[in-house]
Parts: sequence; C-alpha cells; structure tokens
Amino acid sequence: MEALKLDKVVKQYGDKTAVNEINLKVEPGEIYGLLGANGAGKTTTMRMVLGLIYPDGGNILYNGKPYSNELQHLMGYLPEERGLYPKVKVSEQIIYLGKLRGMTTADADKSLRYWLDRFEVPEYYNKRIEELSKGNQQKMGFVAAVIHKPQFLILDEAFSGLDPVNVELLKDTVKELRDQGTSILFSTHRMEHVEELCRNITILHRSNTVVQGDIREIKKGYPREEVLLRTAGDVSGLAQIPGVRGVQLTERGYVLSIGELAAAQRILQHALGQSEVEHFEIKEPTLNQIFIRAVGESNE
Amino acid sequence: MNKLGTIIGFTFKNKARTKSFTITTLIIVLLITIGMNIPYFIDKFNGEDEAAEAARIGVVADSGIPAAALLLDYTAPEGSDSKVALESYASPEDAALVKGLDEGDIEGYLTFGTAAGGGVPPVTYHSKDGELDQDVQMYLQTALQQVNTQLIAEGKLTPEEVSAMFAPVSIGTEQLSGSAGGADGAAPEETSPINFVIVYVLLILFFMSIMLTGNMIAAEVTAEKSSRIMEILITSASPLTQMFGKVIGVFLVGLMQIGILVATIAANLLLPHNAGVLADFDLDLSQMNYGILVYGLILYILGFFLYALMYAAVGSIVSRTEELGQATMPVMMLGFVNYYIPTFSVAAPDTLLVKIASYVPFTSPLSMLLRIGIGEVAVWEIAVSLVILVVTILFFAWLAAKIYRTGVLMYGKRPSIKEIRKAMKAYKF
Repeated sequence: MEALKLDKVVKQYGDKTAVNEINLKVEPGEIYGLLGANGAGKTTTMRMVLGLIYPDGGNILYNGKPYSNELQHLMGYLPEERGLYPKVKVSEQIIYLGKLRGMTTADADKSLRYWLDRFEVPEYYNKRIEELSKGNQQKMGFVAAVIHKPQFLILDEAFSGLDPVNVELLKDTVKELRDQGTSILFSTHRMEHVEELCRNITILHRSNTVVQGDIREIKKGYPREEVLLRTAGDVSGLAQIPGVRGVQLTERGYVLSIGELAAAQRILQHALGQSEVEHFEIKEPTLNQIFIRAVGESNE
Repeated sequence: MNKLGTIIGFTFKNKARTKSFTITTLIIVLLITIGMNIPYFIDKFNGEDEAAEAARIGVVADSGIPAAALLLDYTAPEGSDSKVALESYASPEDAALVKGLDEGDIEGYLTFGTAAGGGVPPVTYHSKDGELDQDVQMYLQTALQQVNTQLIAEGKLTPEEVSAMFAPVSIGTEQLSGSAGGADGAAPEETSPINFVIVYVLLILFFMSIMLTGNMIAAEVTAEKSSRIMEILITSASPLTQMFGKVIGVFLVGLMQIGILVATIAANLLLPHNAGVLADFDLDLSQMNYGILVYGLILYILGFFLYALMYAAVGSIVSRTEELGQATMPVMMLGFVNYYIPTFSVAAPDTLLVKIASYVPFTSPLSMLLRIGIGEVAVWEIAVSLVILVVTILFFAWLAAKIYRTGVLMYGKRPSIKEIRKAMKAYKF
C-alpha cells in the first residue's frame, strides 16, 4: 500500500484554482519529484499534504487513512524559506521543534548531536541561527525537519542556495532516509537532482498536471532528437545527410539534431567514412528539455 | 497539554531573556527607586541647607522701641521650617555688625521707623544686595504680625489668650456611616489616601504591563510568520495550542515583571530612611483596602488575556514587522481608553462614564479597578462586570484562534477584513 496518496485533489482560492485534480502516489522508501514553474501549485500541494490547508475536493490518504493530528509526529517539513528563529540557539530551537513533534528532550538532544556530527558541524550546537551562513542555516533547517525520523518528509526546494559539496552531502542524506523507508515529496527547479533522486515525477503547470509518471517511461515517450559525435579529424557534409536538421560544432564535438532515428545510423556511417569516431551517442531528451517542452506546449 | 507546556516554556524563556525586556525592566526599577527616594533626598538637602545657613539678621534699635524687644523675644512655633537668628545691635555702625555684613555672616539688618499708632512702626530691611530671601521674609512677616498684635492687645488680653490666637486651627474629617453605598449592601468604603495611591500605582502598572506584553505577543507572532517557522510550528501543534502557549508564556513574563516591580516598591518602602516618608504623606498601610489587591489580580489577568488575544490575532494578520505598528493601532487606542477613563476619573470615581466603562469589556478591567479601589460598588456589580469580561474573552479566544489559523498562512500585503473573512471560510477547520 502506498504511504501517501493524493486522489483528485483540488484547491481553490476564491475564483482561482490553485491545484486542479492532482493525483499522485508515493511508496514507502520513494522520493517523489514535484516539478513546476513558480506559481504552478507545488507549494499549495505540499501545504495540503502537510495539513496546513484543507483541499476543496478529493482525498489525501496517509497509510490509507485521512489526515489526523497523530500525523504531526510523522511529518517532517523543510519550507522553501528556512523557517527557524534567527535569534535562538540551534540546540534550543531544534530540541523545541523535536519536542513539539513528540520527542523527549533527551531523545531530541541525542538526535540533534547525531545530525550535527553527521554534517561535521558539532560546534553549531550553541550558535544562534543568525550567526550561520545561509547554506548552513539551510542545513539546520534540514536537521529540524528530520530530527524526529519522520515517515513523511516534505522538502520544498531543499537544495537551493547550497554549494556543490553541501548539495552532495544533503543528497546522500536524503537517499539514506529513502533507503530507511521514508516517503519523500521533493520539489525543485534543478532537473539534474530530480533525475538522480526520483523515480516518479509530476510536472505541474498553471495548476494542472502536464506530465506524470516514471522518469524513464516519460523519456521514452519523447523522441530522441540529438546526436553527439566526436571524431579525430574534421567531418564535412554532415548537414547534407537526409534527416539532419542542424549541425553545431561545440567543444564536445558535433551536436546534430535529427528529425528521425534512422538518420543517426547514416550520420555514424558518414563519419566513419571520413575519420576515426571517438564518441557517438544518441542522446535521451533531458528532463530539462522535457520540462521546457511540457510547460511551453501548454502555454500555447 | 504536553505541547502547550513546551510552548509556554519556550516562549517564557526566550521572551524573558530578550535585551529589550531586561533593559525595560531595569529602567523601570531604576525609575521607581529614584522616584521613591526623592522625598528623602529633598528632605535631606533642605535639612542641610537650614542647618548650615540659619540666616543671621541684625536688629538695630534703641532699647526704647518695644517692638524690637518683642521681636527679639519671638520664637517660631514648633514645626516651622525656616530658621532665622535675630541679633540685637545698638547702631548700624556697630563694629561687629559691619564686620559680619562684610564677611557675609550676617545677611542684613532691620531698622524701625517712627511709630504711627499703637502698632509696630514701619520696618526697613538693609542688605548688600537689597533683596530679601522669601523664607526670611515669611518669617519676619509672621513674627512682626505677632508682635503687632501683642502691642495692640497689650493689657487687654492675657499672654495665654494671645498665644491661643496664633494656634493653628485644625480641620478634622469624618465620614458619615451607613449612608450612600451602604444601602446596596456593599461595605462602606473608607477612602484613605493609601487607596488612591494603590489605585494609581495599579492603573499605571497594569496599563504598562498589558501594552508591553501585548506588543510582545504581536511582534512574536509576526516574527514567526515572517521567518516562516510558523509553517513548521503549525504542522507540529494545533494553532489553538500555539496561540495559548504563546499568550500564557508571555503572561508569565508580564507577571514576573510586575512581581519585580512590586518587590522594588516594597524593598524601597522597607528602607529605614523611607519609613518617615509614608507618614509624611499621611499614608498608612493598615488602612489599605486589601480587597483591591485580590480583585486587581483577577482584573489584571482577565484584562491581559483579552488584550493579548486581540494582539495575537492582529499579529497573525501582518506579514512584516514594519507593518505591525500600524495594524496594532486600534488595539492600542482601546488600551489608552481603558487607561485614561479611570486615570482622569480618580477624583470622581462614581461618574456615569466610569460606571458604563466598568461594564464594557475593553475598559472594565481598569475602570472596575478604580471603582473597587476608591469608588462605591456593590458585589453584584463586580460579578456582572467579571462575567461580561469572561464571556468576551471566551468569544475572543474563539475568534482570535480562527483569525490566527487563517492569518498565519496569509502572506503578502495586509489583507482587508473582507479578505480575511473570505479566507476564513476557505481554510475552514
């Protein structure tokens, strides 16, 4: 049974529909990607999942049951904009938040120390949030969200504002939580994170679901239209091959866009006839391209 | 309930530790201490002045002038402040007098003109600067007046009769028993000065405390909202629990502050040198109406909660701290009305305005305090006022919780009342 299930969930603010009949399922131990441009309805969806606001239509089921106050102890939430007291010590406020989530002071303290060690910043225990850099505040926000080992973890733009080292650190942590069985709802603008972490995604555009499903399946549904070719010498006449729409010479080699898959084989043969081929790849569409296309198409 | 305790504890700890709270409290403690010791210091300085500079005034007259002899014999009645020492000299050229005047030991001297009738002849005061100190003038005037009477009444009245003439007339006061308020079954109020003082002190203390703590609550809610920690809090504990946790936490901070201030007042009263000050002002702690302290505490608690809830609701609507001042203005206005009605009515605590105000929930906490303290009020009146207040608080708790629940998730510009109502329906709970 899925840990989290949204069934035709609708949210309206006055006349404006913020979320229109979204359906999604998150299994235990799954990271589910929620994508969309700004204002597409991601945060509203997450807030409904959190029980902050109630849907106007449809159902949200947690472990098969509707929302109840007991869920407060099972949910972890990292809002887009930090969400910590700037002038209060890290230890005090995170233990406080842990206690509100049903932990004892001792457990919360132990858990906090574990996470600070894990992020290699034990000295933050006695620091105030305003003394930390933005990225480190983000890390403390993350600690606050996972301190009570939630079953449902909702991460709104969790990696924004972090340097690459910290992104890796947090990504590894998120994967670890996933492997421990946490159901994670994850929103971001960074497609490469989604490709790395998520199995299933939903792309929202103006309150509507425009693309949904397994990332690999989604990609298969989109034609492969790009060929990457790197050769030892120059190759001429690539543009004249039937089915080739355009040729670009880049640092990585030639990037050709093709109208049909068969053209890829013709390109390879043509190149082999003139030079040694070092690299040949028919590229999958990136999620980025799919996103832009999906959002762009429904714009028209 | 466990969460409520956690929130109360966290709020109390953080608020009591803020710099603004510590500094405000210290300043008030300092002001109270200074204020309460001022009478003592004034006394002290005055005392020194007099001791050091008992003005020496020469009286230049032939022994033949009876007024001069009587003046030299004059002694000020007991309890009189000014000290003037009169010394007799034969003539203005007397060596000792000239020397004294030159060195400033002697302020000046008096000469007598020719007597026109039976009384004191015209007196002239001679001094270097030509000025007569006001205290000295008062003293001389009283003394000469008495001498005048003595001269005129000489032989007609006995010395005892003369001195009886100058004895101060005393006016005693006594309240009629069994009149007015007694008919309502209330104990006749003995309005001694100590109760005026207590009512004044409580009015100021409560008004200040309610305003300070109210603003504290509103600022806290807005800060939590703008730092978005609110979203985490709301998913951890119900908004009602949170709002009450915060209100009670800040209430304890306010109570602690009042405790500190009362302790300061008490400590100052107990200082040995201040023991006389109370007596000087004719204040007697034993005359205090202790009921007012008990009712005062009840009214303070209720008043605090009513205003705290309004502040919490207002704080939840505003998204940015900068907008808070403007948004809390209406609540603050109510607070001022609550304070000024009784403050300006201390002299007349039984006016219709105060009576009405003592039933209106927003003004009843302090107006009722005034009536209990120095006005006339029946027990049933207090009960009715308290019931109205409690019912209003319950209604506001419900309303504030609803606004709070809605407001904390509304960002952007300050919403209009219409928008809040619409949103409250959308966020139904």
